[in-house]
Amino acid sequence: MELDYDALLSLSAELGFRLMESGAEIYRVEESIRRLLQAYGVDTGEVFAIPNLVIVSLTDPTGHPVTRVRRIPPHGTDIYLLEKYNALCRDLCREAPPFADAQSRLADIRAGWQTYACPARYLAYFAATAAFAVFFGGTARDALCGGLCGVSIGLCLDFMTRWDANQFFKTVAGGMVSALLALFLTFLGLGEHADRIIIGALMALVPGIAFTNAMRDIMAGDLVSGITKLGEALLIGAAIAIGTSLAMGLARLLGGAL
Amino acid sequence: MDVLCDFVLPCACAFVGCLGFSVLFNIRGGGIWICAFGGMLGWLCYLLAVPLGSDIAQSFAAAVAVSLYAEIMARIRRCPVTAYLLVALFPLVPGGGIYYSMEHAMNGETAQFLHTLLHTLGLAGALAVGVLTVASLVRLWMSVRKKLPRRR
Repeated sequence: MELDYDALLSLSAELGFRLMESGAEIYRVEESIRRLLQAYGVDTGEVFAIPNLVIVSLTDPTGHPVTRVRRIPPHGTDIYLLEKYNALCRDLCREAPPFADAQSRLADIRAGWQTYACPARYLAYFAATAAFAVFFGGTARDALCGGLCGVSIGLCLDFMTRWDANQFFKTVAGGMVSALLALFLTFLGLGEHADRIIIGALMALVPGIAFTNAMRDIMAGDLVSGITKLGEALLIGAAIAIGTSLAMGLARLLGGAL
Repeated sequence: MDVLCDFVLPCACAFVGCLGFSVLFNIRGGGIWICAFGGMLGWLCYLLAVPLGSDIAQSFAAAVAVSLYAEIMARIRRCPVTAYLLVALFPLVPGGGIYYSMEHAMNGETAQFLHTLLHTLGLAGALAVGVLTVASLVRLWMSVRKKLPRRR
């Protein structure tokens, strides 16, 4: 049977796009596409990926090169999708099914995508930040305040994501809102240690993911991507500091005026 | 202080915290518990590594432990390593360092600001080196294992 090179190219570019969008490392995206091409018997394929771009190129038997470029929009990390696409890629490489079949299986994963309901996510924000407030030495009342600040961060991030704010601005706003709330709750006497509440709440913003991903990319030899993500991590760290210091400066001004 | 305050409480907090974050990254099913346990394990290693003398060395030891755990779990469940690593490293992220350096900067205490900032970067670096060490060794081991039978 004649191999449809255009369909293979579309399939592999789509898989790479989906993998990257759910937060896969660079080497995973490149290796998945390479293996997929090999599974269909194409040895002339080339793949290149950086955090917001995937390029797949191959040469058909007549010597005619074909290329596809996919631009990846800003995305978060979704482990559920990542695991599904990774498993699908493994299956496709083993079975090499017809392209229509493979495409429909890709679409099925997207259709069966589940996220946690909104209340569960805010509960998770609450539990995580409350736990970290205690973790950094806070008391039970600090935990309650930390949880409330965490929920405020969650609300702030969701609200700004809806209006397409960029990552830097979102982090500044999240840090500022949570620090203001923490200072206010401490002022009211509900919280005991403002610093521990803020640190606990900030754990919802810290660039742990960007940092870990940067390290894994650098280790895999993808220096361009690694340094990009490291820069992202440093920027987020700076944004957290700017957001909280804005809030504290404001609180001091108000404190002086009162 | 006793075992309860020194070990059980922080580890339980790390567990609950990681549980929350694994929901935020949309981890489903049994993976949640694996991540939360990883976070707790990391912090337990950090606490047990106190004899190493500095918190940077402790961070390094804990990062190595968490990475090993994540690699093993990923092999067992045939899932990407990142899934477990991202969440389980959370308790080790120096969130306090970022905050206190910012506070010193706000108060105009330059010397203390620089001291805290460098310390925070040191902690982050220790984390990175720990993750890198394990990941590189695992890669080495995988490629050795792949190539040896072929030579025979």
